[in-house]
Amino acid sequence: MVKRYTSMAYKNADDMIFGTAVHPVKAELGLEVGAGYVTAEVNYAPRPEAGVSKEKLVSEYRKLTTDILARAVQIGFPAVSLETEHVEQMTNNPTWGGEIAHVQKTILEEYHEEYGIKCGLRHTPGDIREDRDLLALIGKKYDTLMESFEAVADGGADFLSIETMGGKEVFDYAVLRNDVPGMIYSIGCLGGMDMEMIWTDITKIAKKKNRISAGDTDCAQANTAMFVGGGLLDKNLAHTLAILARVIAGSRTLVGYESGAVGPGKDCGYENTIIKAITGCPIAQEGKTATCAHADVMGNLTMQCCDLWSNESVEYHGEFGGTSVQCWSQTLNMDAALMNTAIQTGNAKMLRDLMCLSDKYRDPQGYVLAYDNAFKVGQAIVKDGNDLYLRAKNAVVETIKILEASKKEGKLLMSRFEQNALADAKASIDALTNEKDTFMSDSLAKYKAEVKVFRPEANYKW
Amino acid sequence: MDIDPSKILVRYNVQKEKAQSPDQMAAEMFPKAEPARTIAKAIYDGEEDEVIEGLEKAIGKGADAIKLIDDVLMPGMKIVTDLYDQGVIFLPNVMMAADAMLEGIEYCKESSGSAPKPKGVVVCHVAEGDVHDIGKTIVAALLRADGYKVVDLGRDVPVDEVIAAVKKESPMMLTGTALMTTTMYAFKEINDRLLESGIHIPFQCGGGAVNQDFVASYQLGIYGEEAADAPKMANAILAGKGLAQLKDMFHKH
Repeated sequence: MVKRYTSMAYKNADDMIFGTAVHPVKAELGLEVGAGYVTAEVNYAPRPEAGVSKEKLVSEYRKLTTDILARAVQIGFPAVSLETEHVEQMTNNPTWGGEIAHVQKTILEEYHEEYGIKCGLRHTPGDIREDRDLLALIGKKYDTLMESFEAVADGGADFLSIETMGGKEVFDYAVLRNDVPGMIYSIGCLGGMDMEMIWTDITKIAKKKNRISAGDTDCAQANTAMFVGGGLLDKNLAHTLAILARVIAGSRTLVGYESGAVGPGKDCGYENTIIKAITGCPIAQEGKTATCAHADVMGNLTMQCCDLWSNESVEYHGEFGGTSVQCWSQTLNMDAALMNTAIQTGNAKMLRDLMCLSDKYRDPQGYVLAYDNAFKVGQAIVKDGNDLYLRAKNAVVETIKILEASKKEGKLLMSRFEQNALADAKASIDALTNEKDTFMSDSLAKYKAEVKVFRPEANYKW
Repeated sequence: MDIDPSKILVRYNVQKEKAQSPDQMAAEMFPKAEPARTIAKAIYDGEEDEVIEGLEKAIGKGADAIKLIDDVLMPGMKIVTDLYDQGVIFLPNVMMAADAMLEGIEYCKESSGSAPKPKGVVVCHVAEGDVHDIGKTIVAALLRADGYKVVDLGRDVPVDEVIAAVKKESPMMLTGTALMTTTMYAFKEINDRLLESGIHIPFQCGGGAVNQDFVASYQLGIYGEEAADAPKMANAILAGKGLAQLKDMFHKH
């Protein structure tokens, strides 16, 4: 049985700051995360043609790891962390991921030994638990996934992470139909159940191998909503609904920490400010430095409370300024240097607020994720922390309240469409029961009938 | 600390919002005559039961079920897709309207015991190794909403299966979506295998990490930047556009 969060790690939103967490974590090669400084976390993807064999993949990761470290010492950065998000071959063949982790860690060790640079390595196996059109969350694929975690831990990965997909089969249906109760069911309830299962097991592996159970992100669902929502002029999803998916993800991602994760949370978890407020664990974030991977409407704001600062992912190739990983790692490290200078000169809160305010009114998503509002969402979640359904619903109710209250202030301008979508969401939430059992059985019947790929008995531990 | 955001950013979506609401604009587009008006409104509202109820009444009064598909359901859906193309309504409205319209088509088919002729057949798939299929789901829905028969192969589809489906269905177009750069290489293999078999249909590719440069590197590839490009491309093919013209039309960068 996991221990649910029913209180906040921070007393006040204003206490939250980049570079410092209530519970810092320490990696093997001197790197501490959340211990008073921000570090770049560099992300990359191999060129597609490198995936044809294990040898080519290993070689690709050897080159790009060396490139990142070489640039870090050339420019004089005190620390750097790397994240390897697996291509599917590396997880499906656990020895591949294990060998790559080992090769990367060896390079980090060599640089650490020669220059004293503090280093960290995160490995993120892919969530391979699917069987063509169906999720296969429990069974053989799950066992292979756990073998992959064992292998990368043996290989030397400090931080163990994953982007899990529990609930996605229902979410993909719900999000395209403006179905907010469906989002609560898929992300908050089904996602939460899957998270509890998988993070309990990842944490066991981390403890056994003396590694760090780092945390998850609701990339599969909340980021899908954010990307479907797109830019200001896109017409695929109201951004007021995208932020509702995000705050529900706050409740869902929290389950990882309740099951033993300690951070640093995954970079693309835009819900991470909520997570940090509740758990006090360090977080990775991405924003303006992730434009190599995607566009979003809050590139500065996400730096507000980060402990690792990431670029999400960039394909390894040449640029005018070096290889892509060198260029982006340098940008990340420069941002980290600025934040660390602000910390040392006592201006951290000033810089945090500048970064936050530059995006806060750009979009409903940034407005709610601004640290003061994210803190309120966190409070709403822990109010009923023991109930996965109620706390996800609370997050939605609080978010609607925050957005409605913004109208008085008049700084966040919402289109009529965004406001109507919010009003429809409120009506659907007001009509919901407060009884988890009723909600769960009603939703089970509804989505079993409507979503043909939903196989609740096979995929979730009820 | 706080700011006046008006000098920092512009919410162009608010600035550009039309004076008329989507409902008002739709109401002006609904046909005047009944039962078309009631059914078109039910499609716009995504109300499946009301669509069926309207069709039931019309058939009860002697209307031809298959003719209702062409004369009432498809024009009703076109109002929705036109409003979407104009940026007036959002994708979930289209999805819910398409659900309602497709239910209506099924009802008409059952009532008449025959099936209407689609505008054309399109095979859709997600690249082998890729499980991200929401883009494909949207593409398939928009094509169906425009009157095409979609053969949906699902996600993580092996190259052999795509080739076999194209040979079996003889589609006017193939679509492929992928989120990851590592999986999109399957598109090139599909292109080569189609050419080996002497098949020269447009192969529309898009999604996540797929970019125009990559798609333009193989002969049959046409880049689809947005899901809404899929029915536009199918309509262009029906209008007689060939591969070179499609590339001119859809390769925007």
